[in-house]
Amino acid sequence: MAINKSLIGVVGAGTMGAGIAQVAAQAGFETLLYDVKQEFIDKGLGRIRTFIQGSKDRGKISAEEAERVLARLTGTLKLEDLGPARIVIEAAPENLDLKREIYQKLDTASEPETLLASNTSSLSVTAIAAAIKNPGRVLGMHFFNPPPLMALVEVIQGEQTSSQTMDEAVELVRLLKKTPVRTKDTPGFVVNRIARPFYNEALRILEDGQITVDVIDHIMKGAGKFRMGPFELMDLIGIDINFTATESMYRAFFLDPRFRPSPIQQKMFQAGHLGRKTGRGFYKYESK
Amino acid sequence: MSPNSPVQVAIVGTNRLAGELLRLCQGHGLQASPYSGAEKVTASTSLAIETLAGTEAEKKRNIEKLDQKLSAPAVIVSSCLGFSATHIASWTSRPERVVGFATFYPAEEKKVIELTAGLRTDEPSLAQTENFFQALGKETARVKDMPGLIFPRILSLIINEAARSLDEGVAAAEDIDTALRLGTNYPLGPLRWADQVGLDEVLTVLEGLQRETGDDRYRPTPLLKRMVLAGRLGEFSGEGFYQYNKEP
Repeated sequence: MAINKSLIGVVGAGTMGAGIAQVAAQAGFETLLYDVKQEFIDKGLGRIRTFIQGSKDRGKISAEEAERVLARLTGTLKLEDLGPARIVIEAAPENLDLKREIYQKLDTASEPETLLASNTSSLSVTAIAAAIKNPGRVLGMHFFNPPPLMALVEVIQGEQTSSQTMDEAVELVRLLKKTPVRTKDTPGFVVNRIARPFYNEALRILEDGQITVDVIDHIMKGAGKFRMGPFELMDLIGIDINFTATESMYRAFFLDPRFRPSPIQQKMFQAGHLGRKTGRGFYKYESK
Repeated sequence: MSPNSPVQVAIVGTNRLAGELLRLCQGHGLQASPYSGAEKVTASTSLAIETLAGTEAEKKRNIEKLDQKLSAPAVIVSSCLGFSATHIASWTSRPERVVGFATFYPAEEKKVIELTAGLRTDEPSLAQTENFFQALGKETARVKDMPGLIFPRILSLIINEAARSLDEGVAAAEDIDTALRLGTNYPLGPLRWADQVGLDEVLTVLEGLQRETGDDRYRPTPLLKRMVLAGRLGEFSGEGFYQYNKEP
């Protein structure tokens, strides 16, 4: 078995996994999408088909191109099928034990020079890589949601990631027609860490009182030229996702007060006021 | 001042904000005079804008001088990037006429200007300040009295975290800026934004919040302090996180 340079493997057919598989197929790679149940794979491939259909309807791609992209995508229930891939991008649930199990299997199933990339946003790449014999080929490749539309990919160097792996990964991200940014393996990497105060300090100002969320949002757009205010954006992202990210970063930075989560956001999380998706967050939304 | 008499504006300071405010006043037909210091401000002034972010000693001297020079009904509108309006008002004999405002360069392109009342500020002074900024074509928002108010406060914390990440070697400056523009849709990367605003002003906000709250979350990252001490204040100084071509 030799490495197949035009093959990309994706582990996990959820929102991020399916989105990454779509990016790979659109960039011209043969793409294998792995998950543990056929229904997960079908759902993921279905989501990609809907997206591609939409692009075709809006005239963004031709019918022939849509056909070719879909023809490059195959689902599989066998992790070892991903073995010859140039890179395997893992987008499994954010659970360290589960991920380590996957990397141990990939360690023996894949070619020694296959790059193993995790799409984790909150776990340490170094901790994931420690599960296998050659952690030098493991790195982080953090796509943003939704991957087909977001241009950025953070390419994360764990403690043991080799510089050759980093260089190859950066080149691959360019081949995927995305913009790579190199970062070290620190909590939140670049974007989630540096953007934290946009949410957290807005929440702190809300806690201080004598102000409402719509006034803060209005100021951030009218004085700051941000395209969305922090509360609108938290409602869009999901209060659960935003709160969990802050909490995990707070723990990862050993309780540094810079990352202290907000009791207001915690209560909303507990009450199930999760933003747009539940019809209520900092604002109320019609329907649902 | 009677409601019908024309507003006589004094703009105190030599920074970019003072220049911008003067241009805005002239562009909107307001009578405004620039003053490099508070000593020469005339008694006929009805509204004085004090633009210094600066150190406590300098700012206090400016405000005390204004308080002496101005007639009793004149309003003092002071930049509260680093001090609460209540704190600034405590340096005067008439704290009821002191109003705080906060903005970052460039103020000319801001749609909204944030204003705040100190604990003893009276409503007519605040209303007069609102009228003034509205006459410049700005919307105003009343917010709670804290150093840096809202937008400068939040942006300063984002910049502080970006500077810290850079100092720790997490990523290169260009990569940090690219990441935030593409990953979160920011209009500018935080380090480029810092260079536009001025690193000294960012530091003023962080130090003001740290002093006011005693909370460690506001501690400025050492790189930011060193850059300010080294005069690498951003675009207008020729160098900040990036290099700029100095004018010949």
